[in-house]
Amino acid sequence: MHLLLRIEQSGICQWIRSTDSIFGYYGILTVHAIGMAIAVGINACIDLRILGFAPALPLAAMEQLFPLLWFGFWVNAASGSVLLATDATHKLVNPDFYVKMVFIALALGTVRLLRVHAFGDPQVDTGLVSTKARLLAVASLACWLGAIIAGRLLAYQAAM
Amino acid sequence: MSVVHLHLLLNHIPTVGFSVGLALFVAALVGKSGDVTRAALAIFFLTAAVAILAYVSGSDARAAVSNTPGVSTALIDAHETAALIALAFMQATAFLSWLALWAWRRIGHVPVWNRAAILILAVVTFGLMVRAANLGGEIRHPEIRAVLDSVVPAADGVPGERLTAARSWGKYVEEHSWVWPTCEILHFVGLCLLFGAALVVDLRILGIAKQLPLAAVYQLLPLGLLGFTLNLVTGMAFFVATPQQYIGFLFLLKMGLVALAAINVLYFMLADEPWTAADGDDMPIGARLAAVSAILIWVGVLFCGRMLPALGNSF
Repeated sequence: MHLLLRIEQSGICQWIRSTDSIFGYYGILTVHAIGMAIAVGINACIDLRILGFAPALPLAAMEQLFPLLWFGFWVNAASGSVLLATDATHKLVNPDFYVKMVFIALALGTVRLLRVHAFGDPQVDTGLVSTKARLLAVASLACWLGAIIAGRLLAYQAAM
Repeated sequence: MSVVHLHLLLNHIPTVGFSVGLALFVAALVGKSGDVTRAALAIFFLTAAVAILAYVSGSDARAAVSNTPGVSTALIDAHETAALIALAFMQATAFLSWLALWAWRRIGHVPVWNRAAILILAVVTFGLMVRAANLGGEIRHPEIRAVLDSVVPAADGVPGERLTAARSWGKYVEEHSWVWPTCEILHFVGLCLLFGAALVVDLRILGIAKQLPLAAVYQLLPLGLLGFTLNLVTGMAFFVATPQQYIGFLFLLKMGLVALAAINVLYFMLADEPWTAADGDDMPIGARLAAVSAILIWVGVLFCGRMLPALGNSF
Protein backbone atom coordinates (compact mmCIF):
# COMPACT_ATOMS: atom_id res chain seq x y z
CA MET A 1 0.00 0.00 0.00
CA HIS A 2 2.90 2.32 0.77
CA LEU A 3 3.99 2.46 -2.87
CA LEU A 4 0.43 3.05 -4.09
CA LEU A 5 0.02 5.90 -1.68
CA ARG A 6 3.29 7.43 -2.86
CA ILE A 7 2.14 7.24 -6.49
CA GLU A 8 -1.20 8.72 -5.60
CA GLN A 9 0.36 11.53 -3.58
CA SER A 10 3.03 12.34 -6.16
CA GLY A 11 3.14 15.88 -7.49
CA ILE A 12 1.82 15.01 -10.92
CA CYS A 13 -1.14 13.04 -9.56
CA GLN A 14 -2.02 15.81 -7.13
CA TRP A 15 -1.88 18.31 -9.97
CA ILE A 16 -4.14 16.14 -12.17
CA ARG A 17 -6.73 15.88 -9.40
CA SER A 18 -6.75 19.54 -8.45
CA THR A 19 -6.14 21.53 -11.64
CA ASP A 20 -8.84 23.30 -13.60
CA SER A 21 -6.82 22.83 -16.80
CA ILE A 22 -8.36 20.70 -19.55
CA PHE A 23 -5.29 18.47 -19.23
CA GLY A 24 -6.42 17.55 -15.72
CA TYR A 25 -8.67 14.79 -14.48
CA TYR A 26 -11.72 15.47 -16.65
CA GLY A 27 -9.61 16.09 -19.73
CA ILE A 28 -8.03 12.65 -19.30
CA LEU A 29 -11.50 11.19 -18.70
CA THR A 30 -12.57 12.74 -22.02
CA VAL A 31 -9.63 11.11 -23.80
CA HIS A 32 -10.60 7.84 -22.09
CA ALA A 33 -14.18 8.19 -23.40
CA ILE A 34 -12.97 8.92 -26.95
CA GLY A 35 -10.62 5.92 -26.87
CA MET A 36 -13.53 3.77 -25.70
CA ALA A 37 -15.77 5.11 -28.46
CA ILE A 38 -13.12 4.24 -31.06
CA ALA A 39 -12.24 0.76 -29.78
CA VAL A 40 -15.72 -0.39 -28.78
CA GLY A 41 -17.44 1.41 -31.66
CA ILE A 42 -15.21 -0.13 -34.33
CA ASN A 43 -15.39 -3.54 -32.67
CA ALA A 44 -19.19 -3.31 -32.48
CA CYS A 45 -19.36 -2.50 -36.21
CA ILE A 46 -17.28 -5.59 -36.97
CA ASP A 47 -19.30 -7.80 -34.59
CA LEU A 48 -22.62 -6.64 -35.96
CA ARG A 49 -21.41 -7.19 -39.54
CA ILE A 50 -20.52 -10.77 -38.61
CA LEU A 51 -24.02 -11.14 -37.14
CA GLY A 52 -25.59 -10.07 -40.43
CA PHE A 53 -26.02 -6.31 -40.13
CA ALA A 54 -24.96 -4.29 -43.22
CA PRO A 55 -24.45 -7.50 -45.25
CA ALA A 56 -22.97 -5.70 -48.27
CA LEU A 57 -19.85 -4.82 -46.27
CA PRO A 58 -17.02 -7.18 -47.29
CA LEU A 59 -15.67 -8.69 -44.08
CA ALA A 60 -12.23 -9.13 -45.60
CA ALA A 61 -11.96 -5.37 -46.15
CA MET A 62 -13.09 -4.68 -42.60
CA GLU A 63 -9.83 -6.18 -41.42
CA GLN A 64 -8.33 -2.79 -42.29
CA LEU A 65 -10.21 -1.35 -39.32
CA PHE A 66 -8.28 -3.40 -36.75
CA PRO A 67 -5.35 -0.95 -36.41
CA LEU A 68 -7.90 1.74 -35.51
CA LEU A 69 -9.44 -0.53 -32.88
CA TRP A 70 -6.01 -1.10 -31.36
CA PHE A 71 -5.28 2.62 -31.52
CA GLY A 72 -8.38 3.23 -29.40
CA PHE A 73 -7.29 0.49 -27.02
CA TRP A 74 -3.78 1.91 -26.51
CA VAL A 75 -5.15 5.41 -26.00
CA ASN A 76 -7.24 3.95 -23.22
CA ALA A 77 -4.49 1.82 -21.77
CA ALA A 78 -2.43 5.00 -21.41
CA SER A 79 -5.21 7.33 -20.19
CA GLY A 80 -6.56 4.57 -17.94
CA SER A 81 -3.15 4.07 -16.32
CA VAL A 82 -2.98 7.77 -15.46
CA LEU A 83 -6.51 7.72 -14.05
CA LEU A 84 -5.62 4.64 -12.03
CA ALA A 85 -2.48 6.29 -10.64
CA THR A 86 -4.50 9.25 -9.34
CA ASP A 87 -6.72 6.96 -7.27
CA ALA A 88 -4.61 3.81 -6.90
CA THR A 89 -5.33 3.10 -3.25
CA HIS A 90 -9.08 2.95 -3.85
CA LYS A 91 -9.25 1.41 -7.33
CA LEU A 92 -6.82 -1.43 -6.64
CA VAL A 93 -8.79 -2.70 -3.64
CA ASN A 94 -12.12 -2.44 -5.49
CA PRO A 95 -13.30 -5.78 -6.93
CA ASP A 96 -15.26 -3.88 -9.57
CA PHE A 97 -11.98 -2.60 -11.03
CA TYR A 98 -10.77 -6.18 -11.56
CA VAL A 99 -14.13 -7.17 -13.07
CA LYS A 100 -13.62 -4.39 -15.62
CA MET A 101 -10.07 -5.56 -16.37
CA VAL A 102 -11.21 -9.17 -16.85
CA PHE A 103 -13.96 -8.08 -19.26
CA ILE A 104 -11.46 -6.04 -21.28
CA ALA A 105 -8.98 -8.93 -21.35
CA LEU A 106 -11.75 -11.28 -22.52
CA ALA A 107 -12.89 -8.77 -25.17
CA LEU A 108 -9.36 -8.43 -26.52
CA GLY A 109 -8.90 -12.21 -26.49
CA THR A 110 -12.12 -12.47 -28.49
CA VAL A 111 -10.75 -9.99 -31.05
CA ARG A 112 -7.71 -12.25 -31.54
CA LEU A 113 -9.93 -15.32 -31.93
CA LEU A 114 -12.19 -13.47 -34.37
CA ARG A 115 -9.20 -12.66 -36.54
CA VAL A 116 -8.36 -16.34 -36.72
CA HIS A 117 -11.85 -17.81 -37.06
CA ALA A 118 -13.69 -15.15 -39.07
CA PHE A 119 -11.05 -13.19 -40.95
CA GLY A 120 -8.59 -16.06 -41.27
CA ASP A 121 -11.26 -18.16 -42.99
CA PRO A 122 -10.55 -18.30 -46.74
CA GLN A 123 -14.31 -18.69 -47.19
CA VAL A 124 -14.89 -15.24 -45.70
CA ASP A 125 -17.42 -13.29 -47.82
CA THR A 126 -18.17 -16.29 -50.03
CA GLY A 127 -20.27 -18.48 -47.81
CA LEU A 128 -22.22 -17.96 -44.63
CA VAL A 129 -20.37 -16.76 -41.55
CA SER A 130 -19.59 -19.77 -39.35
CA THR A 131 -21.47 -20.37 -36.12
CA LYS A 132 -18.20 -20.10 -34.24
CA ALA A 133 -17.59 -16.62 -35.64
CA ARG A 134 -21.13 -15.60 -34.72
CA LEU A 135 -20.71 -16.82 -31.16
CA LEU A 136 -17.43 -14.95 -30.89
CA ALA A 137 -19.13 -11.78 -32.16
CA VAL A 138 -21.85 -12.12 -29.51
CA ALA A 139 -19.18 -12.78 -26.86
CA SER A 140 -17.26 -9.70 -27.99
CA LEU A 141 -20.34 -7.46 -27.69
CA ALA A 142 -21.17 -8.96 -24.29
CA CYS A 143 -17.62 -8.43 -22.97
CA TRP A 144 -17.51 -4.78 -24.05
CA LEU A 145 -20.92 -4.22 -22.52
CA GLY A 146 -19.64 -5.80 -19.31
CA ALA A 147 -16.55 -3.57 -19.38
CA ILE A 148 -18.70 -0.45 -19.88
CA ILE A 149 -21.04 -1.42 -17.03
CA ALA A 150 -18.17 -2.16 -14.65
CA GLY A 151 -16.40 1.05 -15.72
CA ARG A 152 -19.47 3.21 -15.21
CA LEU A 153 -20.16 1.70 -11.80
CA LEU A 154 -16.58 2.44 -10.79
CA ALA A 155 -17.42 6.14 -11.02
CA TYR A 156 -20.23 5.82 -8.47
CA GLN A 157 -18.07 3.90 -6.01
CA ALA A 158 -15.34 6.52 -6.19
CA ALA A 159 -17.84 9.08 -4.95
CA MET A 160 -18.61 7.06 -1.83
CA MET B 1 -27.36 37.66 -25.15
CA SER B 2 -28.41 35.25 -22.44
CA VAL B 3 -29.88 31.78 -22.58
CA VAL B 4 -33.28 33.40 -22.03
CA HIS B 5 -32.87 35.34 -25.29
CA LEU B 6 -31.99 32.07 -26.95
CA HIS B 7 -35.17 30.44 -25.68
CA LEU B 8 -37.30 33.36 -26.86
CA LEU B 9 -35.61 33.24 -30.25
CA LEU B 10 -35.61 29.48 -30.81
CA ASN B 11 -39.08 28.75 -29.43
CA HIS B 12 -40.63 29.92 -32.72
CA ILE B 13 -38.67 27.50 -34.86
CA PRO B 14 -40.41 24.21 -33.92
CA THR B 15 -43.86 25.55 -34.84
CA VAL B 16 -42.78 27.50 -37.93
CA GLY B 17 -40.43 24.75 -39.13
CA PHE B 18 -43.03 22.04 -38.77
CA SER B 19 -45.73 24.05 -40.51
CA VAL B 20 -43.41 24.61 -43.50
CA GLY B 21 -42.28 20.96 -43.45
CA LEU B 22 -45.83 19.68 -43.21
CA ALA B 23 -47.04 21.92 -46.07
CA LEU B 24 -44.18 20.71 -48.27
CA PHE B 25 -44.74 17.08 -47.29
CA VAL B 26 -48.46 17.20 -48.19
CA ALA B 27 -47.68 19.07 -51.42
CA ALA B 28 -45.13 16.39 -52.30
CA LEU B 29 -47.65 13.62 -51.62
CA VAL B 30 -50.19 15.30 -53.89
CA GLY B 31 -47.69 16.27 -56.58
CA LYS B 32 -45.71 13.02 -56.26
CA SER B 33 -42.42 14.89 -56.14
CA GLY B 34 -39.40 13.06 -54.73
CA ASP B 35 -37.31 16.19 -54.34
CA VAL B 36 -40.00 18.07 -52.43
CA THR B 37 -40.50 15.01 -50.19
CA ARG B 38 -36.81 15.01 -49.34
CA ALA B 39 -36.89 18.75 -48.66
CA ALA B 40 -39.80 18.24 -46.26
CA LEU B 41 -38.02 15.35 -44.52
CA ALA B 42 -34.87 17.45 -44.16
CA ILE B 43 -36.90 20.28 -42.61
CA PHE B 44 -38.54 17.88 -40.12
CA PHE B 45 -35.13 16.54 -39.15
CA LEU B 46 -33.47 19.93 -38.73
CA THR B 47 -36.43 21.46 -36.90
CA ALA B 48 -36.38 18.59 -34.42
CA ALA B 49 -32.66 19.18 -33.75
CA VAL B 50 -33.26 22.89 -33.05
CA ALA B 51 -36.27 21.95 -30.88
CA ILE B 52 -33.89 20.15 -28.48
CA LEU B 53 -32.05 23.43 -27.99
CA ALA B 54 -35.35 25.28 -27.58
CA TYR B 55 -36.50 22.80 -24.93
CA VAL B 56 -33.32 22.75 -22.84
CA SER B 57 -32.99 26.54 -22.87
CA GLY B 58 -36.44 26.65 -21.27
CA SER B 59 -35.21 25.98 -17.74
CA ASP B 60 -33.15 29.20 -17.78
CA ALA B 61 -36.21 31.07 -19.05
CA ARG B 62 -38.25 29.59 -16.19
CA ALA B 63 -35.67 30.68 -13.64
CA ALA B 64 -35.69 34.18 -15.13
CA VAL B 65 -39.44 34.78 -14.85
CA SER B 66 -40.61 32.52 -12.03
CA ASN B 67 -40.45 35.31 -9.42
CA THR B 68 -41.96 37.98 -11.64
CA PRO B 69 -45.33 39.27 -10.42
CA GLY B 70 -48.19 38.19 -12.65
CA VAL B 71 -46.35 35.11 -13.91
CA SER B 72 -48.18 31.92 -13.11
CA THR B 73 -46.04 28.96 -12.08
CA ALA B 74 -48.89 26.65 -12.99
CA LEU B 75 -48.88 28.08 -16.49
CA ILE B 76 -45.13 27.53 -16.82
CA ASP B 77 -45.66 23.94 -15.62
CA ALA B 78 -48.40 23.43 -18.19
CA HIS B 79 -46.16 24.89 -20.91
CA GLU B 80 -43.26 22.64 -19.88
CA THR B 81 -45.39 19.48 -19.92
CA ALA B 82 -46.96 20.39 -23.28
CA ALA B 83 -43.50 21.13 -24.72
CA LEU B 84 -42.11 17.81 -23.47
CA ILE B 85 -44.92 15.82 -25.10
CA ALA B 86 -44.61 17.80 -28.35
CA LEU B 87 -40.84 17.31 -28.31
CA ALA B 88 -41.21 13.54 -27.95
CA PHE B 89 -43.53 13.34 -30.95
CA MET B 90 -41.28 15.67 -32.92
CA GLN B 91 -38.24 13.47 -32.30
CA ALA B 92 -40.23 10.40 -33.39
CA THR B 93 -41.14 12.23 -36.61
CA ALA B 94 -37.50 13.17 -37.15
CA PHE B 95 -36.40 9.57 -36.53
CA LEU B 96 -38.75 8.30 -39.24
CA SER B 97 -37.78 11.20 -41.52
CA TRP B 98 -34.14 10.19 -41.28
CA LEU B 99 -35.05 6.58 -42.04
CA ALA B 100 -37.06 7.76 -45.06
CA LEU B 101 -34.11 9.81 -46.36
CA TRP B 102 -31.85 6.83 -45.84
CA ALA B 103 -34.24 4.44 -47.60
CA TRP B 104 -34.61 6.86 -50.50
CA ARG B 105 -30.95 6.47 -51.51
CA ARG B 106 -30.80 2.79 -50.59
CA ILE B 107 -33.90 1.52 -52.41
CA GLY B 108 -34.85 4.51 -54.56
CA HIS B 109 -38.12 5.39 -52.84
CA VAL B 110 -39.67 5.90 -49.42
CA PRO B 111 -41.81 2.92 -48.33
CA VAL B 112 -45.53 3.66 -48.03
CA TRP B 113 -45.69 2.73 -44.31
CA ASN B 114 -42.86 5.14 -43.62
CA ARG B 115 -44.57 8.01 -45.44
CA ALA B 116 -47.91 7.30 -43.75
CA ALA B 117 -46.31 7.17 -40.30
CA ILE B 118 -44.48 10.45 -40.92
CA LEU B 119 -47.66 12.16 -42.10
CA ILE B 120 -49.66 11.06 -39.04
CA LEU B 121 -46.86 11.87 -36.58
CA ALA B 122 -46.15 15.23 -38.20
CA VAL B 123 -49.81 16.28 -38.00
CA VAL B 124 -50.06 15.22 -34.35
CA THR B 125 -46.72 16.91 -33.56
CA PHE B 126 -47.84 20.13 -35.21
CA GLY B 127 -51.01 20.21 -33.11
CA LEU B 128 -49.10 19.46 -29.91
CA MET B 129 -46.44 22.04 -30.72
CA VAL B 130 -49.03 24.76 -31.41
CA ARG B 131 -50.56 24.00 -28.02
CA ALA B 132 -47.15 24.16 -26.29
CA ALA B 133 -46.28 27.41 -28.07
CA ASN B 134 -49.63 28.94 -27.19
CA LEU B 135 -49.25 28.04 -23.50
CA GLY B 136 -45.72 29.47 -23.60
CA GLY B 137 -46.97 32.70 -25.10
CA GLU B 138 -49.62 33.07 -22.42
CA ILE B 139 -46.94 33.14 -19.70
CA ARG B 140 -46.00 36.73 -20.53
CA HIS B 141 -48.98 37.74 -22.66
CA PRO B 142 -52.07 38.02 -20.43
CA GLU B 143 -53.96 39.52 -23.38
CA ILE B 144 -54.17 36.08 -25.04
CA ARG B 145 -55.08 34.18 -21.88
CA ALA B 146 -58.67 33.68 -23.00
CA VAL B 147 -58.89 30.04 -21.96
CA LEU B 148 -56.49 30.10 -19.05
CA ASP B 149 -58.86 28.65 -16.52
CA SER B 150 -59.91 25.74 -18.67
CA VAL B 151 -56.34 24.85 -19.61
CA VAL B 152 -54.85 25.28 -16.17
CA PRO B 153 -57.51 24.50 -13.60
CA ALA B 154 -55.30 24.86 -10.53
CA ALA B 155 -53.64 28.16 -11.41
CA ASP B 156 -51.21 28.97 -8.62
CA GLY B 157 -52.85 26.53 -6.21
CA VAL B 158 -50.96 24.96 -3.34
CA PRO B 159 -47.38 24.55 -4.60
CA GLY B 160 -46.20 20.98 -4.89
CA GLU B 161 -49.66 19.56 -4.61
CA ARG B 162 -49.73 18.23 -8.14
CA LEU B 163 -46.44 17.22 -9.76
CA THR B 164 -45.84 17.84 -13.44
CA ALA B 165 -44.80 14.91 -15.62
CA ALA B 166 -41.22 16.17 -15.58
CA ARG B 167 -41.13 16.56 -11.78
CA SER B 168 -42.65 13.16 -11.12
CA TRP B 169 -39.91 11.67 -13.33
CA GLY B 170 -37.35 13.66 -11.35
CA LYS B 171 -38.80 12.30 -8.12
CA TYR B 172 -38.77 8.75 -9.48
CA VAL B 173 -35.09 9.05 -10.44
CA GLU B 174 -34.26 10.48 -7.02
CA GLU B 175 -36.03 7.65 -5.21
CA HIS B 176 -34.67 4.82 -7.36
CA SER B 177 -30.89 4.85 -7.28
CA TRP B 178 -30.56 2.32 -10.13
CA VAL B 179 -32.14 4.58 -12.77
CA TRP B 180 -29.33 7.13 -13.14
CA PRO B 181 -26.42 4.64 -13.51
CA THR B 182 -28.51 2.51 -15.88
CA CYS B 183 -29.19 5.51 -18.12
CA GLU B 184 -25.48 6.44 -17.96
CA ILE B 185 -24.49 2.94 -19.07
CA LEU B 186 -26.94 3.11 -21.99
CA HIS B 187 -25.66 6.61 -22.80
CA PHE B 188 -22.13 5.20 -23.10
CA VAL B 189 -23.30 2.25 -25.21
CA GLY B 190 -25.13 4.69 -27.48
CA LEU B 191 -22.09 6.90 -27.88
CA CYS B 192 -19.96 3.91 -28.87
CA LEU B 193 -22.47 2.88 -31.56
CA LEU B 194 -22.84 6.43 -32.88
CA PHE B 195 -19.13 7.19 -32.82
CA GLY B 196 -18.13 3.81 -34.26
CA ALA B 197 -20.51 4.00 -37.22
CA ALA B 198 -19.65 7.67 -37.88
CA LEU B 199 -15.93 6.94 -37.71
CA VAL B 200 -16.06 4.09 -40.24
CA VAL B 201 -18.10 6.21 -42.69
CA ASP B 202 -16.02 9.36 -42.24
CA LEU B 203 -12.65 7.62 -42.40
CA ARG B 204 -13.74 5.73 -45.52
CA ILE B 205 -14.60 9.07 -47.13
CA LEU B 206 -11.23 10.44 -46.03
CA GLY B 207 -9.51 7.61 -47.86
CA ILE B 208 -8.81 5.08 -45.10
CA ALA B 209 -9.99 1.49 -45.71
CA LYS B 210 -10.65 2.21 -49.40
CA GLN B 211 -11.56 -1.43 -50.03
CA LEU B 212 -14.84 -0.84 -48.25
CA PRO B 213 -17.43 -0.05 -50.96
CA LEU B 214 -19.29 3.22 -50.33
CA ALA B 215 -22.69 1.61 -50.90
CA ALA B 216 -21.85 -0.96 -48.22
CA VAL B 217 -20.61 1.65 -45.76
CA TYR B 218 -23.95 3.43 -46.30
CA GLN B 219 -25.66 0.41 -44.71
CA LEU B 220 -23.85 1.18 -41.44
CA LEU B 221 -25.57 4.56 -41.02
CA PRO B 222 -28.70 3.25 -39.21
CA LEU B 223 -26.34 2.03 -36.48
CA GLY B 224 -25.41 5.66 -35.92
CA LEU B 225 -29.08 6.60 -35.77
CA LEU B 226 -29.69 3.84 -33.23
CA GLY B 227 -26.83 5.13 -31.08
CA PHE B 228 -28.05 8.70 -31.33
CA THR B 229 -31.62 7.74 -30.46
CA LEU B 230 -30.42 5.83 -27.40
CA ASN B 231 -28.48 8.90 -26.30
CA LEU B 232 -31.27 11.33 -27.02
CA VAL B 233 -33.68 9.29 -24.89
CA THR B 234 -31.26 8.75 -22.01
CA GLY B 235 -29.94 12.31 -22.29
CA MET B 236 -33.46 13.71 -22.04
CA ALA B 237 -34.05 11.38 -19.09
CA PHE B 238 -31.12 13.09 -17.32
CA PHE B 239 -32.20 16.59 -18.27
CA VAL B 240 -35.87 16.21 -17.41
CA ALA B 241 -35.00 14.63 -14.05
CA THR B 242 -32.54 17.32 -12.95
CA PRO B 243 -32.69 20.39 -15.23
CA GLN B 244 -30.91 22.48 -12.59
CA GLN B 245 -27.72 20.47 -13.30
CA TYR B 246 -27.64 21.59 -16.91
CA ILE B 247 -27.68 25.34 -16.59
CA GLY B 248 -24.60 26.97 -18.04
CA PHE B 249 -22.59 27.47 -21.19
CA LEU B 250 -21.04 24.02 -21.56
CA PHE B 251 -24.30 22.08 -21.81
CA LEU B 252 -25.74 24.62 -24.22
CA LEU B 253 -22.59 24.30 -26.32
CA LYS B 254 -23.08 20.53 -26.35
CA MET B 255 -26.67 20.89 -27.58
CA GLY B 256 -25.54 23.52 -30.11
CA LEU B 257 -22.99 21.03 -31.44
CA VAL B 258 -25.73 18.40 -31.68
CA ALA B 259 -27.76 20.82 -33.83
CA LEU B 260 -24.63 21.40 -35.94
CA ALA B 261 -24.23 17.63 -36.23
CA ALA B 262 -27.78 17.45 -37.59
CA ILE B 263 -26.79 19.83 -40.42
CA ASN B 264 -23.73 17.67 -41.05
CA VAL B 265 -25.86 14.51 -41.14
CA LEU B 266 -28.23 16.18 -43.59
CA TYR B 267 -25.33 16.82 -45.96
CA PHE B 268 -24.60 13.10 -46.03
CA MET B 269 -28.30 12.27 -46.48
CA LEU B 270 -28.98 14.79 -49.27
CA ALA B 271 -25.73 15.27 -51.20
CA ASP B 272 -24.88 12.78 -53.92
CA GLU B 273 -21.15 13.39 -54.10
CA PRO B 274 -20.07 11.33 -51.06
CA TRP B 275 -21.84 8.27 -52.43
CA THR B 276 -21.31 8.48 -56.18
CA ALA B 277 -17.51 8.54 -56.35
CA ALA B 278 -16.27 5.34 -57.95
CA ASP B 279 -14.61 3.03 -55.42
CA GLY B 280 -10.91 3.75 -55.34
CA ASP B 281 -11.38 7.32 -56.62
CA ASP B 282 -10.54 10.28 -54.45
CA MET B 283 -13.42 11.98 -52.74
CA PRO B 284 -14.52 15.52 -53.66
CA ILE B 285 -13.32 18.20 -51.26
CA GLY B 286 -16.86 18.91 -49.99
CA ALA B 287 -17.29 15.34 -48.83
CA ARG B 288 -13.87 15.37 -47.14
CA LEU B 289 -14.64 18.58 -45.30
CA ALA B 290 -17.98 17.18 -44.15
CA ALA B 291 -16.25 14.01 -42.91
CA VAL B 292 -13.61 15.96 -40.99
CA SER B 293 -16.21 18.26 -39.46
CA ALA B 294 -18.36 15.26 -38.49
CA ILE B 295 -15.48 13.78 -36.50
CA LEU B 296 -14.66 17.14 -34.91
CA ILE B 297 -18.30 17.82 -34.00
CA TRP B 298 -18.81 14.44 -32.35
CA VAL B 299 -15.50 14.71 -30.47
CA GLY B 300 -16.71 18.15 -29.34
CA VAL B 301 -20.03 16.72 -28.16
CA LEU B 302 -18.18 14.01 -26.24
CA PHE B 303 -15.78 16.56 -24.76
CA CYS B 304 -18.59 18.84 -23.56
CA GLY B 305 -20.50 15.90 -22.11
CA ARG B 306 -17.52 14.47 -20.30
CA MET B 307 -16.50 17.88 -18.93
CA LEU B 308 -19.98 18.60 -17.50
CA PRO B 309 -19.26 17.07 -14.05
CA ALA B 310 -16.17 19.29 -13.83
CA LEU B 311 -18.54 22.19 -13.30
CA GLY B 312 -19.05 20.84 -9.80
CA ASN B 313 -22.56 19.48 -10.16
CA SER B 314 -23.51 16.12 -8.76
CA PHE B 315 -23.64 13.83 -11.76
